[in-house]
Amino acid sequence: MANNNTVLIKVKRQKDPKSAPYWEEFDIPYRSGMNVISALMDVALNPVTRTGQPTTAIAYDSNCLEEVCGSCAMLINGRTRMACSALVDDLEKPISIEPFTKFPVIRDLQVDRSVLFENLKRVKAWVPVDGTYDLGSGPRLSPVEQEQAYPLSRCISCCCCMEACPQFNEQTGFVGAATISQVRLFNTHPTGKALKTERLRALMGDGGIHECGYAQNCVEVCPKEIPLTQSIAEVGGQVMLQAFRDLLRK
Amino acid sequence: MASAAKVEPASSTHAGVPPLRAGQGIHFWLRKLQSLTGIVPIGAFLLEHFISNAYATNGPHAYNEQVRFLTSLPFVPWLETIGIFLPILFHSLYGFYVWWRGDSNVGPSYPWLGNWMYTAQRWTGIVAFLYMGYHVYTMRFSGVHLMTNSAAAFTKVYEHFQNPLVVAFYFVGIIAASWHFSYGVWLFAAKWGIITGSNGQRKFGYVCAALGVVLVAIGVVTMVAFLTTPAAQVPAVTESLLMH
Amino acid sequence: MAINPKIIVVGGGLAGLAAVIKVAEMGGQVDLFSIVPVKRSHSVCAQGGINAAKNLKGEGDSTWQHFDDTVYGGDFLANQPPVKGMCDAAPGIIDLLDRMGVPFNRTAEGLLDFRRFGGTLFNRTAFAGATTGQQLLYALDEQVRRYESEGKVKKYEHWEFLSAVVDGNQVCRGICAMDLRTMEVRTFPADAVIIATGGIGMIFGKSTNSVVCTGSAQSALYQQGAYYANGEFIQVHPTAIPGEDKLRLMSESARGEGGRIWVPKQAGDKRDPRSIPANERWYFLEEWYPKYGNLVPRDVATRAIFKVVYEYNLGVDGQPMVYLDLTHIDRKVLDRKLEGILEIYEKFVGDDPRDVPMKIFPGMHYTMGGLWVDFNQQTNIKGLFAAGECEYQYHGANRLGANSLVSCIYGGFQAGPNAVKYARSQQTSTDGVSSTVFDAERKRQEEANDMLISNQGNENPFQLWRELGAVMTKNCTVIRYNKGLEEADAKLVELLQRFRSVNLSDKSMWANTSFVFTRQLYNMLQLSRVVAQGAALRNESRGAHYKPDFPERDDQNFLKTTKAYFAPDADEPRFEFEPVDVSLIPPRPRRYDVAK
Repeated sequence: MANNNTVLIKVKRQKDPKSAPYWEEFDIPYRSGMNVISALMDVALNPVTRTGQPTTAIAYDSNCLEEVCGSCAMLINGRTRMACSALVDDLEKPISIEPFTKFPVIRDLQVDRSVLFENLKRVKAWVPVDGTYDLGSGPRLSPVEQEQAYPLSRCISCCCCMEACPQFNEQTGFVGAATISQVRLFNTHPTGKALKTERLRALMGDGGIHECGYAQNCVEVCPKEIPLTQSIAEVGGQVMLQAFRDLLRK
Repeated sequence: MASAAKVEPASSTHAGVPPLRAGQGIHFWLRKLQSLTGIVPIGAFLLEHFISNAYATNGPHAYNEQVRFLTSLPFVPWLETIGIFLPILFHSLYGFYVWWRGDSNVGPSYPWLGNWMYTAQRWTGIVAFLYMGYHVYTMRFSGVHLMTNSAAAFTKVYEHFQNPLVVAFYFVGIIAASWHFSYGVWLFAAKWGIITGSNGQRKFGYVCAALGVVLVAIGVVTMVAFLTTPAAQVPAVTESLLMH
Repeated sequence: MAINPKIIVVGGGLAGLAAVIKVAEMGGQVDLFSIVPVKRSHSVCAQGGINAAKNLKGEGDSTWQHFDDTVYGGDFLANQPPVKGMCDAAPGIIDLLDRMGVPFNRTAEGLLDFRRFGGTLFNRTAFAGATTGQQLLYALDEQVRRYESEGKVKKYEHWEFLSAVVDGNQVCRGICAMDLRTMEVRTFPADAVIIATGGIGMIFGKSTNSVVCTGSAQSALYQQGAYYANGEFIQVHPTAIPGEDKLRLMSESARGEGGRIWVPKQAGDKRDPRSIPANERWYFLEEWYPKYGNLVPRDVATRAIFKVVYEYNLGVDGQPMVYLDLTHIDRKVLDRKLEGILEIYEKFVGDDPRDVPMKIFPGMHYTMGGLWVDFNQQTNIKGLFAAGECEYQYHGANRLGANSLVSCIYGGFQAGPNAVKYARSQQTSTDGVSSTVFDAERKRQEEANDMLISNQGNENPFQLWRELGAVMTKNCTVIRYNKGLEEADAKLVELLQRFRSVNLSDKSMWANTSFVFTRQLYNMLQLSRVVAQGAALRNESRGAHYKPDFPERDDQNFLKTTKAYFAPDADEPRFEFEPVDVSLIPPRPRRYDVAK
C-alpha cells in the first residue's frame, strides 16, 4: 500500500501483440493534483519497478492531455477512463492500469482503435459539400438545432463506449455507439441528410445497430456525456422506417 | 517512380473487432424479427395465457370453460404451430445465439442498472425457455390430452401442484417470463425508436416495471387459486370424462 | 510533368487537412503522414473561435479592419500582403466550414454568432461552443475521410517524419519517415511536400501544447538547410491552468464573454474570493487599458499579470496566480458558450468556475516563428512547402486570439494548390529521380537510429527534457535578458553534449516510444538554440519579445524578419535579417490604453 509520499500503480504490460501480458508495480512520488499521465511520465523518468528492477518506459498513447483528443483511453481500476482526466487523488489505491481489452494491443497500454475510423467511413460520416470553392454561406440553423448537434459533434473517438459495451466484440462485430451517434449527427444536418438513406442501409448490415443490447454502459462511461442511448434510439427508429420503406416500396 | 516505396504500411497484427459490414448480411432482419415476435405473437399470447389461467380464480368450472373455449377455436393446430410454437422456437433459438455472442460485463466496473438489466434479460430468457419446455411437455404433450378433454384441465394442473418443487418452478418461471416480457416491451420501445428521450425512457421504464409486477401478481394469484382450492371441489377425472 | 502529382502532406491538423482537401480536389494524389490519427491532432485544443470580418453585428467591421488589427497586434513584423490575403479570405473560409457542418453557435435568426476576442474592438470571432478547434478539425477530417474512401488520399497514421529527401539540386523529392510500431524507416517519393507539423511547445517542458508538438520536423528541416524565421517570438498565453503534466489553456473567449481578471488589493488576502467586495479588488487590466480592458492582446495581458504577481507581489495567496472571474455571468449563457472550457477547469481543478473565480497564470502557448516561407508558402528548399503554426508568416511578433485557426486553414488552402501548381510545372518529375537519392537518405536515418539504440552512457532523455523545459521557460518566455539568454544557450550546448551519452532503457525495436521521443529531443535541443540566440540578437521589445533592457520597439534596426539557418560544421545556428514588407500599412506605435 502506498504511504503518504508515494502512490502505488500496477500496470499491465505487453511487449508486442503476440507476447503474453504481465504486471509491473511502481511507487510514484506523490504530488497533489497529479493525474495518471503524470504517473506514467514519472516511470519514463525513472524506469525502475517497485522492487528495484530496471525496466522500460511504459508505452501509451497520449496527446492533448486535456480530454479532447481522445488518445489516452485505458482501463483504470477496471473501468474505461481517459488517463489525463483521471486524477490520482480521486482514485482508489493502488491504481491498476490496463490496456483496453476489445482492441488489439500494440504494446503496453497502446491499442489499435482504427476500427472506429473505418466504421465512420462505412457510414459516410460527412457532409457531402460540392467543393471548397466559394459557394456562399451554409444553411441557416436555429440555435435549438445547433444545441442538439453540438453535443453529438463533441465525440472524441476515444472508444470508451465500445470497450464498455457487452455487445462490442469479435463475434458480433458490432459497430458501437460512437458511430451510430455520428449517423444521427449527420442525418440531422440539412446537407448531411442527403446521405441519410445510405447511412441507414449501412447500419442494417451485419454488425449494425440491431446488435445493440441496450446495456447502456456507453452513455455511462462517455467522458463527453454524449446522449448515446438517445442517439441509438433515434437512429434505431430511422433505420426501422427505412427498412419498412425498402421492404414495401423498393 | 523511384524504388523507395516497397511494402504496404504495417496493418494491425491481429484482427480485433471487424468493422461494420455495411449493407451485408441478414442479421438485421433476424434480430428485428426476433424482437417483434417477442411482442407479437409471443407477448400477446403470454398476456392471453395469463388471463385465461386467471379464470382459475373463479373456480374449476370457469377455468375448464375457458380452456374449452380456447380449444374450440377453429384451426387450433395451425394457430398453435404458426402463432405460438414456431415464433417461440425462433425467438428462443435466435435468443440463444444473441446470448452466446454477448460478453456480459456486469460487475464493479460497470455496475449500472441498464447493464444489470441487459444480463438479466439473458438469464430470464433462458429460465423462461427451460420453464416453457417443461410446462409445454407436461401440459400439452403428456398426461391427459387437454385439447380433447378440456374438462380435465383444472384437475391436471391441480394434481401437478401437489409437488412443491413444481410449484416453486412455476413461480420462478412466471417471474422470469414476466420480467423478460416487460423489459422486452421497454427494449422494443427504445430500440425501435418509439421512445427515445431519456426522460420518456425512464417514465416508460416505470410503466413496464408496473406491467411486470402486475403479471407476476396475476400469476401468483392464479397459482394460489390452484393451491387453495379444497380437494373436494376439484372435479375427479374419470374414464368417462376422457374421450380418447 | 505530372497531371495528377503525388503530394505528401506531413501533419494532420487543420493546416495539413486543409492542404489535403485542396490537393485532392485538384486531382492530386495525397500521402498524408501523422504521428497520431489525424483526428487527434493538436488543433482539437483550440477553444475560443476563428476570426473573420463578416460584420454580422452591424459594427462596420471589414476585412481591412481585421487586417489592420492583425498587423498592429503583431507589432508590424509580419509581411503584409499575405496577411491581407488571409483576412480577405477569412469570411469565405467561415462560410465553407459552415457548409461542411461545423456546429457554429447561432443567433436567434439562425445566422452565425460572433464574439469579441483580444486585440480588437469588433465582435469578429465565430465559435462552436468553446471547442471550436475540435469542431473545425472534425469537419476537415470528415472531408478527408471522404477523399480517403474514394482512394484519393492515403493515410499513414502512427508514422513519424524524419527528414526530407533532397536531391543534389536542393529540390525536395519526398520524405523519409518511420513507422512508430514496426520502427521501419522508409522513404516516400513525391512531386512536392507540404509540412504542417504545428507548434514547438514541448521544448518549454510544460506548455498548453500537445505531446506531439515538439517541433522535431521543423528542426530536422532547418538542419537540412531550410530557413527558420522569427524563432524568438513565443506567445505566452495569459490564462492557463497550471498542472503537473501540462498547462491547460483557459481560452480568451472566457474574457470575450465578459470574464474579468483581478487580484485582491491586499497582498496575501486569505478571504474567499467571493466575499471580497468590489472596491477591494484590483481589475488591473481594466484600469491600465480602459479601451480594450480584459481583451488586450495576449503579450500585453501576460506582461501585466507578471507585473502584478512579481513586481507588486499581489498573486493570489502569494502564489503566481490571478483570478479570472466568470461568476457574474448567467449560468445558462456560460453553458451555451463556454461549456467545453469550464468543464476542463472543473475536471482538472475540481472547482466549478460558474461559482468560484478561476485561478490562472500565463503559460507558453504558441510560436509565431517557424519555417521561413515565401508568399506561396514555399520554403527555401524547392518543392517543400509549409503551412500552419510550423511556418512564420501571418502573426508577426504576436498572434491575435482566434487568428491561428484562420491562418492554419488559409495557409493550407494556399500551400495545397501551390504545391500542385509547382509539381505540374516541373520539367522532371520525381519518377525520374535516381533511387540512390532515396537510399542515401534512408541509410542516413537508419544509421542515426542504430547509433541511438546502441549508445552507451548514463543520461536519461526524459531528464534532459525536463532540464530543457526549465531553462527555456525561465529565460525564453515573457521577460528576456541577454544574460539569461546566453546562459540558456550555454545550457543548451551542455544538454547537446550530454545527449551524446544518452542511454535508452528500452532497446527494443517495436513501438519504442522512448526511442522516438529521444530522436525528437535531439531536434528540440537544436531548435531551442534558434529561439535563444534569436532572442539574444534582437535588442528591442516587440510584441511577445520583451527585453526590459531594451523596452522600446526599434524599427530602425529590427523591423526585420530573423532568418536562422543551420551551419553543419559549427553545429549551430547562423542568422540573417530580411526587411519586412510594410507596403500596405505604415508602422505606427502600438498601444492599447486608447483606441488605435
